[in-house]
Amino acid sequence: MNERAVRLTVNGTDRDVIVEPRVLLSDTLRHQLGLTGTHVGCEQGACGACTVIIDGRAQRSCLVLTVQASDTSIETIEGVASDGVDHVVQVAMHEQHGLQCGFCTPGIVMSLVAAHRAGIDGATAKHEVLDGHLCRCTGYVNIRAAIDAAWEAAGGGR
Amino acid sequence: MRPPLVGQRVPRVNDHGPLHGTGRYVDDIELPDMVHAAIVRSPVAHGQLTSFDAGVQGAGVTVLGPDQLRSHIRGDLPVLWTLGDQQQHATPVVDEHLRYVGQPVGVVIADSCYLAEDAIEAVELGIDELDPVVGLAEATAADSPLLYPELGSNVLATFEAGDTEAHTDAVFAGADRVFHTTLRIGRVHGLAIEARGIVAVPEPRGKLTIYTSTQTPHAVRDSVCEVLGLAQSAVRVIAPDVGGGFGLKDHIYEDEVMVAIAALERGRPVKWIEDRFESLLATTHARDEMHEVDVAVDDDGTLKGLRVRARRNVGARLAVFGGGPLFTALGVAPGPYRWEAVQCVGQLVATNTMSTGAYRGFGQTQAAFIRERAVDLVAAELGHDPVELRARNMIAPDELPYQMRTMIQFDNGDYEAALRRASALISEGPPPPDDGRARGVGYCSYVQMAGIGPSTLNELIGLSIGGFESATVRVEPDGSVRVATGVSPHGQGLETTIPQLVADELGVDLETIELIHGDTDTTPYSAYGTAASRSLAVGGGATVVATQRLADKIKTVAAEMLEASAADIELSDDRAKVVGTDVGVTIGEVARRAWQGFRLPEGTEPGLVASYSYDPLSATFSYATHACRVAVDTGTGEVRVEDYVVVHDCGKIVNPTIVEGQIHGGVAQGLGAALMEEVFYDDQGQPLSSTMLDYHVPASASMPDIRIEHMEIPSPFTPGGMKGMGEGGTNGAYAAVVNAVCAALPGVDWTELTTPLSPSRIWEAFHGQS
Repeated sequence: MNERAVRLTVNGTDRDVIVEPRVLLSDTLRHQLGLTGTHVGCEQGACGACTVIIDGRAQRSCLVLTVQASDTSIETIEGVASDGVDHVVQVAMHEQHGLQCGFCTPGIVMSLVAAHRAGIDGATAKHEVLDGHLCRCTGYVNIRAAIDAAWEAAGGGR
Repeated sequence: MRPPLVGQRVPRVNDHGPLHGTGRYVDDIELPDMVHAAIVRSPVAHGQLTSFDAGVQGAGVTVLGPDQLRSHIRGDLPVLWTLGDQQQHATPVVDEHLRYVGQPVGVVIADSCYLAEDAIEAVELGIDELDPVVGLAEATAADSPLLYPELGSNVLATFEAGDTEAHTDAVFAGADRVFHTTLRIGRVHGLAIEARGIVAVPEPRGKLTIYTSTQTPHAVRDSVCEVLGLAQSAVRVIAPDVGGGFGLKDHIYEDEVMVAIAALERGRPVKWIEDRFESLLATTHARDEMHEVDVAVDDDGTLKGLRVRARRNVGARLAVFGGGPLFTALGVAPGPYRWEAVQCVGQLVATNTMSTGAYRGFGQTQAAFIRERAVDLVAAELGHDPVELRARNMIAPDELPYQMRTMIQFDNGDYEAALRRASALISEGPPPPDDGRARGVGYCSYVQMAGIGPSTLNELIGLSIGGFESATVRVEPDGSVRVATGVSPHGQGLETTIPQLVADELGVDLETIELIHGDTDTTPYSAYGTAASRSLAVGGGATVVATQRLADKIKTVAAEMLEASAADIELSDDRAKVVGTDVGVTIGEVARRAWQGFRLPEGTEPGLVASYSYDPLSATFSYATHACRVAVDTGTGEVRVEDYVVVHDCGKIVNPTIVEGQIHGGVAQGLGAALMEEVFYDDQGQPLSSTMLDYHVPASASMPDIRIEHMEIPSPFTPGGMKGMGEGGTNGAYAAVVNAVCAALPGVDWTELTTPLSPSRIWEAFHGQS
């Protein structure tokens, strides 16, 4: 079946998987590695729900083949909190009521965490980074409030 | 003593899952021996399926075509609402008469979803194509192809609301002026970010467990049992975490039934997860209506008569609630104004497109739109200020309760206060920049029927399900509390707000209370689940009464333990104590005694549990005025919504943060329908909006911040005073945004208008007419 062996570093742990070349990274993470926190909303690259951080950059895992991610370091929503301490983006999303059904939330958190770490300013996070995601519940108002809160909390988190 | 939690901005208790990857949505469920399904769908809009050939398949692949599926089928899917002369009361799961692209005709099972989709490629369908009909106008033409030749027409039902023709004619004849507008309401898709999905698990002794992304687990169970001939006691339906519903997930679909059949056939768990392409083709669409609206008015701005002739494109078959959305639209069309005559006629028209069904607002968004658009046209034509014209005609607080001419009775409120405040707030907004864009302010004032039953009314209006909700509240032997509810939250925050209600009645901490929901084996029956802005008004109302009954029992048992009178016991700070003293026992001590059954007062049952089914005396009526300012680039037709205010009353507010979140999301969906969201078909019925790159929903850049002010006039009916508000944001935003665009371009003749007002439509209207 033309399967390939691929090594991924996921949330700091090396994981070896055997996949067909056509298998999406989102499916490997969810169904082979059991990391179901990454959600799939469209498989068309439009909604952003499946966003993970690959080698420091937020990317849509539904547009990446697992074989393309070979030897990369991948971070998913399951790996964002460290030692039980939430990232400021997670804290702010909760405190500002930035989620309702929660389905788009993991992707938004991953994009914002990557932006926060990269030193991107809050206005850009609000007006450009968030625009790469579709949410059907919140109207984005409280997600923007969460971005304000997270960026203001500089020094309060990682 | 801690202050009441009701009214407080309590943070949600169930955010942890999505924020840490520990949520459990249907596609997160993995079971041993599970196989995966893919659905075989009609590629044509109209035709007769003459053959179904499974083709050459690999090992481990099972293909079930119409005949194999039918061998398991004992009944049809119900249409729960019957209106006027409607003859379609149920629809088959499998039908060789193909009526829309995406209609499911078979199911394939394989070891992975990749292999299942591969296997579909080998299936060969023999189809004799028929001429399709796509649009409303074509479907009602004399020579139109018929979807149901046996009915002799594509009109599936005609029904009326309001006054007689003769009375309405007389009122119109006596008015100074009559204005007409034609409003075409585009077809939209609710588009929850999680598409549909199901895991069907055969259990020993012929039982079946179904995990599915639904708003309404009990209704799914009832339909599965009806279709498969299974006892309701043999089927368990569980709604795990659900990624948005908005009305789309209010019933089971044909393809989901096919997956359940596949599980029974294979004797293994079967998972099917709808992809986005399928979702845009074959998950219910909404609206697609044409309204001809006449308004009779005196020159001083007094509204006299309203006449609406509406047709709705219901697609290939009636959805589970049939013509309910159009019927509801006509029922609430009069809105917050006094009229001397209101006459409405609705028609449901079949076409070779996906069914249109329930979507946030359930017709009330359209009702607000046609009325508020017409009112603005009247104001513009007569030279009246749109706010003053509205205020002049509004039902005053001392006229309430007020019966509309469509026989629906409003409860209480102050509609003009909401309008005046919204008008003041939008005027106080930041001044617009001088950038050459055309600007306009638009309003929408609406009254929304929420919190339905009563059950007797449902029966009267042709709806075959009751209107009550039930709750069971139970204090466990250790004092922790579980509340089982029939409503089924999927983002609305009921996991927080229902415990807030309980915490105050029992005087216990929020952390000790757990909401049990979304499981037919462990929750009370609910025909609706979570829908129709009624979860907290009706489901919460049931919870309040059940909890009050439980509180009475706690006091009775505590009184015996404390050698006091039950009337002197108060519940606070996790204790039952004698009023004005420190003498008391913990709720846990009372619970232990109650569950031991030791030394209980005479006539007191052991245990600590209470239930209540609340059948409302009346629906509740939330209301609001939305006002917004838009900037229109007349060179491109692009619209920016720059400022947005909402002044609303949804009765008692349990959690202002959650109420505001619901309004924000509702406004986004109304704004989307006003400006960008549209499902397209070509003239052969082929879908043209089959990806999220073709079907546009608002992103953050399209959404303004929203200034919200709460009025809080409790419902006179609901225990707890809640009126319900899940749909209000959508109901107000659609009309307010369209009205603002029209106000920004006053030189355009807007008497015929089609939504969404996309950039191309605006550009054409502006450059074609000015």
